[in-house]
Amino acid sequence: MTVLVRARDVRRDYPLERDAVHALRGVSLEIVKGEYLAIVGPSGCGKSSLLNLLGAIDAPTSGTVEIEGRNVGTLGDREVTEFRLKHIGFVFQRFYLLPILTARENVELPMAEAGVPPAERRRRSAELLRYVDLGDRARHRPSQLSGGEQQRVAIARALANRPSLLLADEPTGELDARTGQEIISLFGRLNDDGTTVVVVTHDESLARAARRVVHMRDGEIVQDGVPHG
Amino acid sequence: MVALLLALQLRTITIDQRLATDAHLRVGDTAVISATTGTDGDSVTIAAIVGRRADPSEIARSEYRVHLHLDQFQRLIGYGDRVDRFAVSTRGDAAADSAVRAINAAAFGFRAYRSHEIAVETSETFAVVSRFHRAIGVITIVASAVFLLCILLLKVDERRRDVAALRLLGISRRSVMLSVVLEAALVSVIGSGVGVGIGWVTSLAVNWHYQARYQTPLRFALVTGDIVLFAVSLSLVLGIVAGALAARRLVRTHPLVLLGR
Repeated sequence: MTVLVRARDVRRDYPLERDAVHALRGVSLEIVKGEYLAIVGPSGCGKSSLLNLLGAIDAPTSGTVEIEGRNVGTLGDREVTEFRLKHIGFVFQRFYLLPILTARENVELPMAEAGVPPAERRRRSAELLRYVDLGDRARHRPSQLSGGEQQRVAIARALANRPSLLLADEPTGELDARTGQEIISLFGRLNDDGTTVVVVTHDESLARAARRVVHMRDGEIVQDGVPHG
Repeated sequence: MVALLLALQLRTITIDQRLATDAHLRVGDTAVISATTGTDGDSVTIAAIVGRRADPSEIARSEYRVHLHLDQFQRLIGYGDRVDRFAVSTRGDAAADSAVRAINAAAFGFRAYRSHEIAVETSETFAVVSRFHRAIGVITIVASAVFLLCILLLKVDERRRDVAALRLLGISRRSVMLSVVLEAALVSVIGSGVGVGIGWVTSLAVNWHYQARYQTPLRFALVTGDIVLFAVSLSLVLGIVAGALAARRLVRTHPLVLLGR
């Protein structure tokens, strides 16, 4: 099994005026290719901070985070931005689709930035929208789509540059139960097709759908194993 | 037959539009003109009705205007064979210069001017008014520009979450900057285009109202090519500056901070 992500004794402190918030207190974690991992825990336990480090959005105060063998904490802004573009897909709780662009254009955006030729962009965006069952909604703008549909467009966008790692932060947080279930199924399908998925969630059904669940509390991993029930 | 002969012998005059309207006169009508009310005068035929020229100095004049033959005019007012002013039409600028020189050298008591010099002198008041209007215009534009700048900065700042998401997706600072600046420039050009359209329609309404009120073809409001070019250019520059300033601030802020985390 190939290790895709390796975090070693990672600490993340957020300095305050006199003190500091210790969001992560020496977390070590390995994620292998093809895994479906859920990070759960109470609010403020450090799960989003960990996700930010795993996604090369933030750098650790100490310790190292390697993704595909690269220590992302040492990369400069330009390099880490390009690394995220080509290797990591993000799905946010609030979708963050650009309202002026159609679903297809939103999906094509990261490809355009990566320099994918227009014909290839068009072909791949159509394929991705079909994959998330929105093949007939390609020309719709976000305002013309439901919350669940917008999240599926956001997932298609996250997959645009064929990332090795898909990260999702509360992807069902803005959706009703039925729509959330559709998104959970889609993540399962993505993982079955070989995508490595890491989700941070409060949603128990989403956590149960993962193959591995990491429980956090007070900036530490307190349990790491298969989901219960 | 006598009436026909009389009509053929009548001298002709022209009157201005306002007199024609107020006195219900038309071309071909016969009128009697005299130096003072109640005295005998000459019967004349109205040969033409003259509209007012597009001249600002005509606007404030409330008197009626009648043009008649010089000899008849002199006889009616008993002024004799004398004139205060007369105009000489020349062929070309060089001829005008030599005519001015010849008259000023030969005719004692007369002073010849080029029509341009008279126009400059008589329109001095309007030139001052025009400068005053320009100053008001510049102040208005500068104030509007500052307002526009603030609005654009605020509008771009509203996009902080979109910008954060783009940065997290791996879109470079340069691309974000470029897209924000392009969008701001586009919005500015469209906005100035709409503004020019509104200005043009407003100028039509203003001209229609005041031309009817003063019975003049003078255009009171103008939207010229220079004005359009100035408006679009200023708006474009402001849009680019505002977009660049706001985008620079956004891309220099960490995406997580932009997302409020």
